Amino acid sequence: MNAGAAVTAGLAPWRRTRLASLGLYGHFIRLAFLKFLAYRLRYYTGVISYTVFVAGHYYLYLALYAGRAADGLGATVGGLTVREMITYVAVSWIGRSLYFNNISRDLARMVSEGEIAMHLIKPFHLQSVMMAEAVGEAGFRLVMFTVPIMLVVAPVFHVGAPAGAAALLWTLVSFTLSLVIYSQMGFLVGCLAFAMKNIQGVLRAQMVGMDFLTGVIVPFTFFPAWFQAAVNWLPFQCISYVPVMIYLGKRTGPALVSGILLQVAWAVGLTVAARLIWRQATRRVTVQGG
Amino acid sequence: MENTTPGTDATRFAFRDDRSRGARIAWQARIFGAYFVQFLKMRLAYRVDFVIDTLAVLFSLVIQLAVLGVMFSKVRALDGWTYPQVLFIYGFSLVPLGLFNLISVNLYGFADEYLVGGRFDRVLLRPVGSLAQVIFESFNVSGLSEIALGLAIMAGAGLKLGADFGVTDLLALLVLAPGAALVYLGVFLGITTVSFWFEDKMGLAPPVYNLIRFSRYPITIYSLPVRVFLTFVLPFAWVAFYPAAWFVGGERFGKVALLTPLVGVLVFGGAALLWRRGVRNYVSTGS
Repeated sequence: MNAGAAVTAGLAPWRRTRLASLGLYGHFIRLAFLKFLAYRLRYYTGVISYTVFVAGHYYLYLALYAGRAADGLGATVGGLTVREMITYVAVSWIGRSLYFNNISRDLARMVSEGEIAMHLIKPFHLQSVMMAEAVGEAGFRLVMFTVPIMLVVAPVFHVGAPAGAAALLWTLVSFTLSLVIYSQMGFLVGCLAFAMKNIQGVLRAQMVGMDFLTGVIVPFTFFPAWFQAAVNWLPFQCISYVPVMIYLGKRTGPALVSGILLQVAWAVGLTVAARLIWRQATRRVTVQGG
Repeated sequence: MENTTPGTDATRFAFRDDRSRGARIAWQARIFGAYFVQFLKMRLAYRVDFVIDTLAVLFSLVIQLAVLGVMFSKVRALDGWTYPQVLFIYGFSLVPLGLFNLISVNLYGFADEYLVGGRFDRVLLRPVGSLAQVIFESFNVSGLSEIALGLAIMAGAGLKLGADFGVTDLLALLVLAPGAALVYLGVFLGITTVSFWFEDKMGLAPPVYNLIRFSRYPITIYSLPVRVFLTFVLPFAWVAFYPAAWFVGGERFGKVALLTPLVGVLVFGGAALLWRRGVRNYVSTGS
């Protein structure tokens, strides 16, 4: 045993410098980008999907604001005018087109099909690999998906401009943090597959619940106070609600700083939590066949 | 054909060419009934999964009701449609959706599993219609939960409306809901059938599927081009709004609802014809 280790010591890939690690995970970013580039045709119809999402909510909110006007109620709902509301919807979906990924489903599939065993014996940390791949995927999405959606949606629905150059910059920073939070949450959900035989139901619930809890479908200011208080304690609002409110100029000064800091805190917290849970979960893995 | 295999199933499900048309249909129905029972047995082996799936359906329902509730906490009516009316349309929409979901699972993976994977050869070797086999080979039991929950929401919204539903309305539901389900089935079957001719690299189904959630609102809130599109081009106005209008649409839309079964038959019939041409065009991959 010792002799064998000595022979391979020169090749030992798990003993590498930090720079080599960076190169390794950077390689996964590039690979993911190229992989998604090969499937780019699917994203053309995706542009239609996102346009449908925005269009549906556009008409819904127009009817809502028109209904209020007809009854002589105020022109703002939850602090948003109808124009801001349309912008809220559009920016939410544009952002979602960037940070969205299927980490939970992919990880769950690897676990239930036994493929996970092959990843466990390789000299990398799967959590870091999947995060790197998420970055690569987001890079692809930005160029081939988010920008085209923006070009279609913004003129068609007269989406409002950002509150200012700084607001736009901070929105971009904020959505980048959303990507980390979204990915780590997906990783945590995927880890459930270690404990459950079938997590299809959980994945479905995640798919359905996410857009609601992140504030993509309805801004939280529409909800009663107790609900707003509850979401303040959850990481979901940091995925979409916070960056979109920054875009609209509803979060400036200290509120902007606290929003970004909250995102950073959740990004770090969830990454650490996912690493700890991963360590526990992979201690006892049963692979049947594979 | 001689059939000497003993046992009730072998005789009950044996293929005989000399049967009358009626007896043949009954025989096919028995086979698909047996498919369903078999599938239920398989599913019941994983009871926990079923409970989790049902909870997922319930969860998505709670969220959509919360969205509706929040919207209507800010406004009295959407383009004249009140909360109970919109709620009723939403409840109705779940019934045909549940019926469709119950039998549509195989359509999504059809190209990969049946055409590329070679399962379609096996289907063609059997003396039962190929389309019916593909549809009834797998079920999504959570469709049943959707139907039950949809009926419950309709009942609740009906009470709020103070509506006086009678036997006619019950009969209407029995015709309108399956008619609307046929519209779903026709649209997605049409999309699936395309894969007989060329590989669907674009993924045509998802954007169409994503449109469903907006078919549950009164279509009068949409602009004219969108309404025309949803009525004549991609006829999703017929899966919820028009049929539900029989119950809540009043003078303006109540009668239009009755066209739903006709639209369903037309859309599904067109897709079925396309399927038939596709089968003729089918060349096995040999795998």
